[in-house]
Amino acid sequence: MAHAATLEIKNLNKQYKVRGESLPVLENISLSIKPGEFVSIVGSSGCGKSTLLKLIIGLEDDYQGELLLDGSRIVGTSLERGIVFQEHRLFPWLTVEQNISIGLLNNTKFSEEEKRKSVQEHIELVGLKDFAGAYPYQLSGGMSQRVAIARALVNRPEVLLLDEPFGALDAFTRAFLQQELQRIWEKEGITMIQVTHDVEEAVYLGDRVVVMQPRPGRIKRIIDVPLPRERNRSSAEFIAIKEEVLREFSHTADASAGLIEKAASNEEYSHSNELSYQA
Amino acid sequence: MNDATRPVVHGLVNSGILQRLFLTLGGFSIRVSHAAVGLILPLGVLGLWQFAVIHEWIAVQLLPPPELVWQSLQDLWESGDLTHHLSVSLSRIGWSVLIGSSIGWLLGFSVALSKTARAYLYPSFEVFSQFPVVGWIPLLIIFLGIDEGLKIAAISIAVVVPVTVATYKGISNIPRNLLEVAQVYRFTRSQVLLRVVLPAALPSLFSGFRQGIMQAWLALVFVELLASSEGVGYLMGYARLLMQLDLVFVGVIVIGVIGVTLDLSLSFLESRLQSWLHTVHGEAK
Amino acid sequence: MNLIHLIRNRDWRWAVLPLTLLTVWYVVTTLGWVNTKLIVPPEKVYQAAVKAISRDGFMEGVEASLMRDMSGFVIGSFAGIVFGVLLGLSRWTERIVGPTFNTLKHISLFAWLPLISTWLGTGDSAKIVFISLTTFYPVAINTFDGVRSVPRTQLEVARVYAFTRWQSITRLIVPAASPQILTGLHLGLIYAWMATIGAEFLLVTADTGLGDAVIKGRAAFNVELIVFGMLIIGLVGALLNFIATRIESHLLAWRGDRT
Ligand SMILES: Nc1ncnc2c1ncn2[C@@H]1O[C@H](COP(=O)(O)OP(=O)(O)OP(=O)(O)O)[C@@H](O)[C@H]1O
Ligand SMILES: [Mg+2]
Repeated sequence: MAHAATLEIKNLNKQYKVRGESLPVLENISLSIKPGEFVSIVGSSGCGKSTLLKLIIGLEDDYQGELLLDGSRIVGTSLERGIVFQEHRLFPWLTVEQNISIGLLNNTKFSEEEKRKSVQEHIELVGLKDFAGAYPYQLSGGMSQRVAIARALVNRPEVLLLDEPFGALDAFTRAFLQQELQRIWEKEGITMIQVTHDVEEAVYLGDRVVVMQPRPGRIKRIIDVPLPRERNRSSAEFIAIKEEVLREFSHTADASAGLIEKAASNEEYSHSNELSYQA
Repeated sequence: MNDATRPVVHGLVNSGILQRLFLTLGGFSIRVSHAAVGLILPLGVLGLWQFAVIHEWIAVQLLPPPELVWQSLQDLWESGDLTHHLSVSLSRIGWSVLIGSSIGWLLGFSVALSKTARAYLYPSFEVFSQFPVVGWIPLLIIFLGIDEGLKIAAISIAVVVPVTVATYKGISNIPRNLLEVAQVYRFTRSQVLLRVVLPAALPSLFSGFRQGIMQAWLALVFVELLASSEGVGYLMGYARLLMQLDLVFVGVIVIGVIGVTLDLSLSFLESRLQSWLHTVHGEAK
Repeated sequence: MNLIHLIRNRDWRWAVLPLTLLTVWYVVTTLGWVNTKLIVPPEKVYQAAVKAISRDGFMEGVEASLMRDMSGFVIGSFAGIVFGVLLGLSRWTERIVGPTFNTLKHISLFAWLPLISTWLGTGDSAKIVFISLTTFYPVAINTFDGVRSVPRTQLEVARVYAFTRWQSITRLIVPAASPQILTGLHLGLIYAWMATIGAEFLLVTADTGLGDAVIKGRAAFNVELIVFGMLIIGLVGALLNFIATRIESHLLAWRGDRT
């Protein structure tokens, strides 16, 4: 069993430089996550959810505030922390099986034999046994995302970050993988942080649901989900909590403002791309 | 500072103009320092060269001193020999590019626009294009002798291939939906050609032209080395026979300078073409 | 590929042009409408071919040329890939070496030959150095472009899985850049063959070689040998191109059915 970790986020601020001007993306984020906890994050598009995950995984080190894992500052990436990116990010020149093995490339805990077995298990877990030898171009978006999930899980990290991992899946597969994720979480005691746009999913899986609001990205409210598992999606308590989250959501971004913000943030994003091309 | 200018300065500061000015200045100084870094290597090589000459590491016949090369370049320039050889070479390039790209465009347009022409001509052209240009030259010498005709023919062949391929590919890669628009508005054949095909294929036409010129430049030096009594390539071959390595170096330098100039002016033209196309599109909106 | 495609579709129109040319050639030479010393009849080319193949010397020449071509190609492409990767990975290398490289690449390749032959003579070493140089440029340029266009998102994946620098290069950067690297190698192969023949034309030696044979044929006004030699030069060029295309599409099968 992985030794789950405590994650402490204190007064975290993050800006991006866009054309020499600094654009605040995250402001004053504070959040303490217990070992083995499951935290869901919801929030409108562009409010900085992916950025937050990127900071926790250690891909960005230009921030203010503190990011502590078991009391020590997060510096760079580590195999103890895994992530499923919003886009699947598979290597197109590797087969499904080889892509999943990438997760174990530098793993020193497993023997070669264990690695092979673990890869096979995870291919089966995400239901791609018949596609083990297929290349990413032969997969649908949802299948690719499942490969990415397997790649992240295969390593059994202490902390697993998931950025809308089930976004591209059909309802049936999604429900199945939610179950599986929950099973692995319970069995392994991994600390999980999942970003999702699906409020029901957030409530179904999370011990807590963090609602974020945009411009700059802040935590609006944290809602506890004190329901025992296996949760019943149609129970009155479940629906009540779901409604509560949804209410926070609609306060944050009443339809028109949300749209404008989305358009604006998209624009900024494309500028930043241009910028990085020039550099 | 008097009171009248104060608001102006204030405005400047507030509008971020000054900030931007500083940024550009910063960018400029970065660029200058980058250029300086880029000079380290050539200057180092030059220094080493000079050093090697002074300490006579290598025989002067094999490595002439830099100042001798420079001297020869000046002499050659002042005597008018350099200009003469250069103008011969450049006029060969000019004629060949004219002939080669005309044939290339004609061929490219016909195989791209007519299925029949494509069926008859393109397979043979594909085989033809696999022959290295230099392979043609001995045969051409038999037919054309070693006069001007040989050079023009050989260099033109070098131009035809990339121009034809780029023209054909450029036209056949025009998005179908653009042509469908033309169909919807019942464009005539010449309208389709002038208003859709030509503008859409222009960038690749130009890039083919550019490749053609570069190939011409390559073929020119080869032909002039092999069979010529004038031109930059001849100059180098001759100097090599006489073991005048300073002149060989002059040749390399001149050929490099022309190559860079050609490339720079072609990319300039290309960017102008691009921006012209953009404004045309803008007006169309 | 193209040929198979054409045969299957029973579209024989491509044959019209070559057959016409062949017929015209045959007719004008047999009827004696042209100077047959200059425009030799096809059967003489055929005889020259038979003679060249049966007599020893010619095929050895082809072999020697191919050896030069391959040695130069291997050295040049290895150097080109290493150089391109280095330049692509290290900003400092790029700043120091890049401007010089970008200037030197504009020097028409054959201009190097007089220098190389002064220093190294006219033997194999000079030729191989020249062929390597010719291969080097397209390989280096394309490798550099490929390395530079590796997406940032994939580099982040490498960091998440704690790739070492060597792993990043071998498992991410080189495969991600492989389409461009292969394009460079393909170009390099075409250029190398041109350089081989060109060098053999210009640096006449007592050595054997396809180019040497042709250029000697010219000196002896042996037109049928020149024509046959040219055909072989083209054939080898086409064959190399064909092989390169097959290897390329095999290695890049992971990109799916792009054309
Ligand atoms: N590399 C970057 N450079 C500049 N700005 C960036 C960069 N990455 C993200 N941003 C900006 O940061 C803000 C937050 O982006 P982020 O991707 O974290 O949003 P998100 O909450 O994940 O949105 P979504 O739900 O659409 O995935 C956006 O306004 C975006 O434009
Ligand atoms: Mg996101």
